[in-house]
Amino acid sequence: MFFHITLERNMQLQPRHFGPHLRDKLVAKLMKDVEGTCSGRHGFVVAITNVEDIGKGLIREGTGFVTFPVKYQCVVFRPFKGEILEAVVTMVNKMGFFAEAGPVQIFVSNHLIPDDMEFQSGDMPNYTTSDGSVKIQKDSEVRLKIIGTRVDATEIFCIGTIRDDFLGVINDPGAAS
Amino acid sequence: MSLEPFNRLVRLSARAFYDDITMKGDNQPKSGRGDNRGMAVVVLDALTRRQWVREEDLAKALKLHSKQLRRTLRFFEEEKLVTRDHRKETAKGAKVFSAAVAATGDGQQMVKEGEEKTKLHTHSYCCLDYAQIYDVVRYRLHRMKKKLKDELDSRNTIQEYICPNCGKRYSAFDALQLVSLTDEYFHCENCNGELVAESDKLAAEEMGDGDDNARRRRREKLKDMLQKMEEQLKPLTLQLARVKDLPVPEFGSLQAWEARANAAARASGDSSAIDSSKSSQGQGYGGTPMPFLGETRVEVALSGVEVKEEDTESDTKATSMKVLPPWMIKQGMNLTKEQRGEVKPTSKMDESSAPIDDKKSKDVKEDEKSIQDEYLKAYYEALVKRQKEQEALKKMQQESETSRASASDFSNGVPEAHAERRVGMKSKREEDENDDVEWEEVPPAGNTGGTYKLADLNVEADASGDDEDDIDWEEG
Repeated sequence: MFFHITLERNMQLQPRHFGPHLRDKLVAKLMKDVEGTCSGRHGFVVAITNVEDIGKGLIREGTGFVTFPVKYQCVVFRPFKGEILEAVVTMVNKMGFFAEAGPVQIFVSNHLIPDDMEFQSGDMPNYTTSDGSVKIQKDSEVRLKIIGTRVDATEIFCIGTIRDDFLGVINDPGAAS
Repeated sequence: MSLEPFNRLVRLSARAFYDDITMKGDNQPKSGRGDNRGMAVVVLDALTRRQWVREEDLAKALKLHSKQLRRTLRFFEEEKLVTRDHRKETAKGAKVFSAAVAATGDGQQMVKEGEEKTKLHTHSYCCLDYAQIYDVVRYRLHRMKKKLKDELDSRNTIQEYICPNCGKRYSAFDALQLVSLTDEYFHCENCNGELVAESDKLAAEEMGDGDDNARRRRREKLKDMLQKMEEQLKPLTLQLARVKDLPVPEFGSLQAWEARANAAARASGDSSAIDSSKSSQGQGYGGTPMPFLGETRVEVALSGVEVKEEDTESDTKATSMKVLPPWMIKQGMNLTKEQRGEVKPTSKMDESSAPIDDKKSKDVKEDEKSIQDEYLKAYYEALVKRQKEQEALKKMQQESETSRASASDFSNGVPEAHAERRVGMKSKREEDENDDVEWEEVPPAGNTGGTYKLADLNVEADASGDDEDDIDWEEG
């Protein structure tokens, strides 16, 4: 799920950046540092929308670096247990398949794939129904439900299922049918 | 506060869930010789018959090693069936508890102040927590059913993987690290062996047959299990339903319960037990000088049975006629008979605890009073009879003493009880039930006299604003 929240961070700036464009440089550095990262607590930071406030800089002892406390607003993405997402299949395996929903990786084990879908290996391994009507292979879009998340300090990983109603392949993949 | 349905619930759930728990330490070999499975059930059963109990006492009563008992109780505490309280007390403070437990107490002598020990031992107490037990059992049943149903529907179970070589276990969360580039299986991180999916924990996977059959058989097995579970747990679920609407028995914290029990013991005339408890309380609770400050609301002195019910009808109600303590009575004071405390004990207690609706309660209590009076009369007659028999025996031994005893025999029912004591025979506390009224008539030579009361009250005044005494002049 996406959220728009305010976060705070202490940015350290080197003295060579000091000058008339100090603030711009600071914001640029912030974006470079933060966008695309993931924190266990807030989730993946997708984009910074604006910088609210930059506090007074504090010169560190011994070096000339200055630390600014920066408050900024950003869009974050955090998956939750029980959430239903659309994802794109990245890899199909005998044990299940991996899918990506934006920055988060989701694994669906074969135990949570409906019984009527069988694994078929080949150069394009896939799961397919007995009558061939539904196929899950690389680059298929799939709607799945998250049944568990593992949150590390800087990483979030999910387990999903497509066993419930209304879950499964959304549309046929662009690749060979 | 009916304990019986709750006790039955506890016993049923003990036998359903805890009857095969061994209490041996993990590092001890489980030999065929020493196998104490089922001990947990015994312990729980014992706890249903007691309220707050010291763990050492329980160990003695059950003839168990206290370490084993402690392990069992720790286990139950983690299961949230039992509450435990650990208290640092002097050895005498521990006697407070004993006094509370044996509501009749047994002749503990008042120890002089100089002899107090300052070593503090930690005493552990435990008690069944009925409210939590009810919730815990329901939760357990719910989880069991949920697990089976989930397996049955094959939904939302997180896959686990085992490496057959080194036995390392992985969860589906680790799948990313386990995926190999070479082939399509998961490989172990250590030994690179192929991982095997650990399927449905409850229903073992059957090899050989086609997947279809295996799956169907698993479903059958799960359904079977579910059915058997429902059937075997039926008495427990019935008991739960029965207990659902009943008020849960509540013993309160250890201190509250102790205070109540002490009040009950005192009300039943058990002076010296309270005596030691009072004096030791002052010493035992060295760190907390006013232990009952928060609990003052609770206690009203009455005969033991009624104490708990009277808990809420508190002592803030004005009493109709207060009984003056002996040291307040000076010569020539114009007091009514009641104030001298010369009325029968029951009526005194009744009046001192009269709640707001005086009339109603008085009517009820007068009925009780008459019944109690008759009971007392019959009781004293029985006592007299017994006394006579004992005298007949003693006549051979000590003539003078028997004559003395027989003389006091006819004067009053109660001094005879005192005489019993003087003669040096052990008297049970029950016989002295209604003694405390007569303490004014008996000279301080007896062991219930104004003196002990004096000391007692003094200690009370120091220690707490304690309301257990029928004399509630303290709280104003």
